[in-house]
Amino acid sequence: MSKKPYMRVEGLVKKFGPFTALNGVDLAVHPGEVHALLGDNGAGKSTLIKILAGVHEPTSGRIFVEDQPVQFRSPRDATAAGIGTVYQDLALNQLMSVTRNFFMGRELKGAFGRLMMDEMDRIAHDEMLKIGIDISDPGQAVGTMSGGQRQTLAIARAIHFGAKVLILDEPTSALGQKQQMEVLKTMMRVRARGDIAIIFITHNEIHSKLVGDRFTFLALGQVIGAGTKAELEGEDIRRLMAGGAEIADLEKELEEI
Amino acid sequence: MSDRSEADRLKREGWFRRTVRRPEIGSFVVMVVIILGLLIASDGKAFNALGLKNNVKIISQFGIIAMGAALLMIAGEFDLSIGSMIGFAGMSMAMMLKWGLPFGLGEATPFLAFFFTLAMTLALGWAIGTIVVRSGLSSFIVTLAFLFFMRGVTEVAFRLINQSTQISGLPDFKQDSWFADLLGGEVFSWFYDLWFWLGDRFVQMGFERDSMWFLLGGNLNRRGEQWVEGFDARFLWFIVIAVVAWFILSRTQLGNWIYATGDNKESARANGVPVNRVKIGLFMFTAFCATMFAACQVFDTNTSDAAKGNLMELFAIAIAVVGGTLMSGGFGSVLGVVFGAITVGLVSNAVFFIPAIDGAWFRVFLGAILLAAVFANERIRKRITGGI
Repeated sequence: MSKKPYMRVEGLVKKFGPFTALNGVDLAVHPGEVHALLGDNGAGKSTLIKILAGVHEPTSGRIFVEDQPVQFRSPRDATAAGIGTVYQDLALNQLMSVTRNFFMGRELKGAFGRLMMDEMDRIAHDEMLKIGIDISDPGQAVGTMSGGQRQTLAIARAIHFGAKVLILDEPTSALGQKQQMEVLKTMMRVRARGDIAIIFITHNEIHSKLVGDRFTFLALGQVIGAGTKAELEGEDIRRLMAGGAEIADLEKELEEI
Repeated sequence: MSDRSEADRLKREGWFRRTVRRPEIGSFVVMVVIILGLLIASDGKAFNALGLKNNVKIISQFGIIAMGAALLMIAGEFDLSIGSMIGFAGMSMAMMLKWGLPFGLGEATPFLAFFFTLAMTLALGWAIGTIVVRSGLSSFIVTLAFLFFMRGVTEVAFRLINQSTQISGLPDFKQDSWFADLLGGEVFSWFYDLWFWLGDRFVQMGFERDSMWFLLGGNLNRRGEQWVEGFDARFLWFIVIAVVAWFILSRTQLGNWIYATGDNKESARANGVPVNRVKIGLFMFTAFCATMFAACQVFDTNTSDAAKGNLMELFAIAIAVVGGTLMSGGFGSVLGVVFGAITVGLVSNAVFFIPAIDGAWFRVFLGAILLAAVFANERIRKRITGGI
């Protein structure tokens, strides 16, 4: 993959008082690729994506978007730079319709502030269809949709409003088997567009192997392994997932108890 | 694996089923039952010329304040200060009309009295809203404080300036001032003129005056003259407020923000909805509705007293709930609230048309349908959020 990265971070450090959450993290995400970000609880994944999403400012280190250094002071800055974050709660309102959720806060207005409802229905339907879900009624309440469909809605919304980097925060973690697969399929459809870089945060080794092109492993705020799928083979991923500990060591420890 | 996708599981329903499942359907059915029941029980008197006028008057009063309460409730907040706001606004207007404008600004015209008062009530609404959103306290307790505070201020101000807690015998401003007439006069007189004209025609054709009560006797008095001239101006304001509220809620960006704010304010905020401004604006809207209620009353009756609007905040909330508004916010419709106002208004007035019943049955009825409505609304909420 010779394309230039859309976004690159170098030497990212984040300290919360005496606590070092990130200690010099490098990361590069390329359009048309899924970059799996793995690590145990407390490894610093959440801090990293919150910096990328503009929620936190880094203590030191630099972020480049299309080779230009940028500073995100608010989530708005990050969104404007094309970073779309889909958090676990998805920021959806259950009682409202698909269309009203899709355009929440960014409604299309005609004369007298009138909503262009037909136009909005059409866009919401088409954008969701592009990544694989054909909703029959855009007036349907989000509360009646499955977890996978909601995930798709949130992703379609982020893409429609200009995301070039799509950060997915554990999109498969709260779903059943079949819906996990639906979300992975959705991710692959977005990947196939070729112009969007996906950062896929997960605990799940199997999922990351299924869709990941590049991998970065975090442990205790540091990158302990990174590379393309070809560079990292087999067992390596599981070892890195566990923060560098060997499963064999763990087995031995368990036996000793 | 089958080729069925998840989307196939939700069928787009036909027109009839969609209508039956609308959130307003419950309040609509109750309203129709009440209208028919009242028509029969009062032997038509509830909807003769004067009965209709009186019923529409109370329906409009309830409707105006319920609209404010409902929009605020959809955005997830309560306002218990509506009743005290009515008392305060009525006191303020009547006092200015009797004793002149504050700060020695001279004689008050109805127009000036209204706008000075509106400026004060909107400022109070803004203050209540700001306290609620800045402190993060429950609006229930903040507005309860204002319920006592403003009722007290109203009474104290009355005694200090006026020596008595009521003002009566103000001049009939609507004779000279178009503005007072717009608030306290009569509207839609063409409706009653037409009713009279039709009845008159039939009488000339030789029918008895009371042979077809609705068409003929409807608007003719015993001497064959026109009986009722028009509806109270409140009716016009109820229609205006309801239409504007309907348009905003269902057709504009602001409406989407109101729903989003009440549904889940964190996700609304994450998507860039100015949640706090929406809430403060709606507290100001309930203050506006209370002021309109008071203004119509003052200019209609040329009186005011410190107890005006007592308990109205609770009626407003009850009507909003009967109309299908969710207590937890995020869901509700203007049409449902209109149905709710008609239902509650008719029943509260029913004792005047059916003398045999005890007036307290109104509260028994209101309590019962309120409870039924809460259960029905909860069912709808569960159906949407996947509980059923």
